[in-house]
Amino acid sequence: MSSSSIPAPLHRSVSDFFYRNSGLLTLLFILPPLLWIGIVYVGSLFALLLQSFYSLDEFSGLVVHELTLATYGHLFESSNMVIVLRTTVMATIVTIASAIVSFPIAYYAARYAKGGWKALFYLAVMMPLWSSYLVKVYAWKLILAKEGIITWVAEKLHLGFVLETLLSVPVIGGSSLSFSYIGTFLVFVYIWLPYMILPTQAALERVPGSLIEASADLGATPGQSLRTVILPLALPGVIAGSIFTFSLTLGDYIIPQIIGNSRPFIGSTVYALQGTAGDIPLAAAFTVVPIVIMGIYLVIARRLGAFDAL
Amino acid sequence: MSIAVNFQNVSRHFGQVRAVDGVTLDIEEGEFFAMLGPSGSGKTTCLRLIAGFDQPSTGNIRIFGEIADGLPPYRRNVNTVFQDYALSPHMTVGANVAYGLMIKGMPRSEREQKAREALSLVKLNGFEQRRPGQLSGGQRQRVALARALVNKPRVLLLDEPLGALDLKLREQMQEELRALHHDLGITFVFVTHDQGEALSMADRVAIFNEGRIVQIGTPSEVYERPHSRFVASFVGSSNVLSPDFAAANGGPRAWTSLRPEKIDVLLPGEIPKTGQAIVSGQVSSLQYQGAVVRVAVNVAGTRLVATVPTGAKTIPDGGTVSLAWDRSSAVVMEPE
Repeated sequence: MSSSSIPAPLHRSVSDFFYRNSGLLTLLFILPPLLWIGIVYVGSLFALLLQSFYSLDEFSGLVVHELTLATYGHLFESSNMVIVLRTTVMATIVTIASAIVSFPIAYYAARYAKGGWKALFYLAVMMPLWSSYLVKVYAWKLILAKEGIITWVAEKLHLGFVLETLLSVPVIGGSSLSFSYIGTFLVFVYIWLPYMILPTQAALERVPGSLIEASADLGATPGQSLRTVILPLALPGVIAGSIFTFSLTLGDYIIPQIIGNSRPFIGSTVYALQGTAGDIPLAAAFTVVPIVIMGIYLVIARRLGAFDAL
Repeated sequence: MSIAVNFQNVSRHFGQVRAVDGVTLDIEEGEFFAMLGPSGSGKTTCLRLIAGFDQPSTGNIRIFGEIADGLPPYRRNVNTVFQDYALSPHMTVGANVAYGLMIKGMPRSEREQKAREALSLVKLNGFEQRRPGQLSGGQRQRVALARALVNKPRVLLLDEPLGALDLKLREQMQEELRALHHDLGITFVFVTHDQGEALSMADRVAIFNEGRIVQIGTPSEVYERPHSRFVASFVGSSNVLSPDFAAANGGPRAWTSLRPEKIDVLLPGEIPKTGQAIVSGQVSSLQYQGAVVRVAVNVAGTRLVATVPTGAKTIPDGGTVSLAWDRSSAVVMEPE
């Protein structure tokens, strides 16, 4: 080698070294985020899990650092299970509604919107994410309030009775939309919708047009194509979106406090338990619930073949 | 013989672009019909019009005598083999092939049986449980073929089906498609930009250019007697002689096509056959192509190309040679 007689500049020999040992370079790049996720995230998750196996001394109000299942026993009391059930039902309904509302929007954006229209679609979906979550929730409180625009429009259209009927339904009704489960539901759907639209749209984007043509060519009506080709291929995207909407609803503690009838959800219960009540073990046990529910949900989704098309 | 597909003055415009511009065409039942042309010549749009993915802007299409206007693809008894195969990734090979039968409501055991038969027709026995993603390009091609044929279409449409395959596989598939066509006896409409493929497979070829059919005929007709300079140069390569050049060498004053293999290259001292036209010029390039050598000769500013079987004679690069051809080999074309 003739070049070996001239010493290469340092930066070049560093480049050459990493070129030959590309594995080392990759390791160097992923080590910091790996440490971040490994220690800061997974570590604190385990610390949290550990906390849930401690218990609170009822007399002193201090955490007893001994492993016990007493806190979980506490969790399974009916007053706490009602909270879990309420949150899970809300998360499920919010997820289903988001999927139904998102699909046509995502389908249009993926199959028909071109150029400027597509840019407009992304802008419209993403823009709500640019403003503060709290601002949006309080804005909705005004929209849904008794003096708000929805009531006003309903009355102008002489449809006030429809709203009255809706609000008089037991459980989901209330004194106004902003003090009912309906209101909580509406705001949840609004806030999480982009997280459902984007993955669904991404999945639909990957379905080649020729696949839909082939299905029609083989005799399938548009409805049959939708059921047998488009929906199965969009499913991984919908599932990805539902992981967002479901887990975000399970863990949210702000919306139920601002909009609705102030009944506790998992998030707001954790917030209360770790704050004023100081019951860290029970708060930890409550946070394990969404993790377990999500785990079960993913296993079921996998069994149903949701990830087959990935 | 009845007419399988009939185009009556069909046009398809996309805004200002005339993708198909006044095409009139009859495809006979049982025929292997090729639509040949460069990209953007309207051949694929014609195929899509037959399949029903697209509707004509003006004109009528009849499929077995029935007007197809406004008929959606799922109401037409034609099936398509797509260029990208368009197999559903979430279904097994067996389910892909049985898809059309499932849509028709055929019971499971019966349609699985038919799918197995169709797969064995394309020599893919035992592939039912695989996924399209696990197959090679050539195998996917065969699945796409089986998926179309299982529905017993009266017309099979093939949209550049061999374009993505390598040469050896392509030649093998050409042979198999010919054999399938022979055995099944249904009408094949085949779109390709590969003139060799069209000539070797089709009973008749329609040559497309800028949305119109410029010539239609058997492979030998379009090859031997091109009507226009476009056909002469697109189908095979040809020497296109200007009217002046043709007149100076014993032909009529018209654009004339002369195939390279019809020209004899004579070294100094060799004598042409009687009655041949003869010119002389300087060899400007030699191109070895395996079976033949392509010789380009500069004849007083006109470039003529001839092919000589490899090893027949040694042609000096840059040397002077004579070119001779039978006058009947020079084909007079329509003025443009």
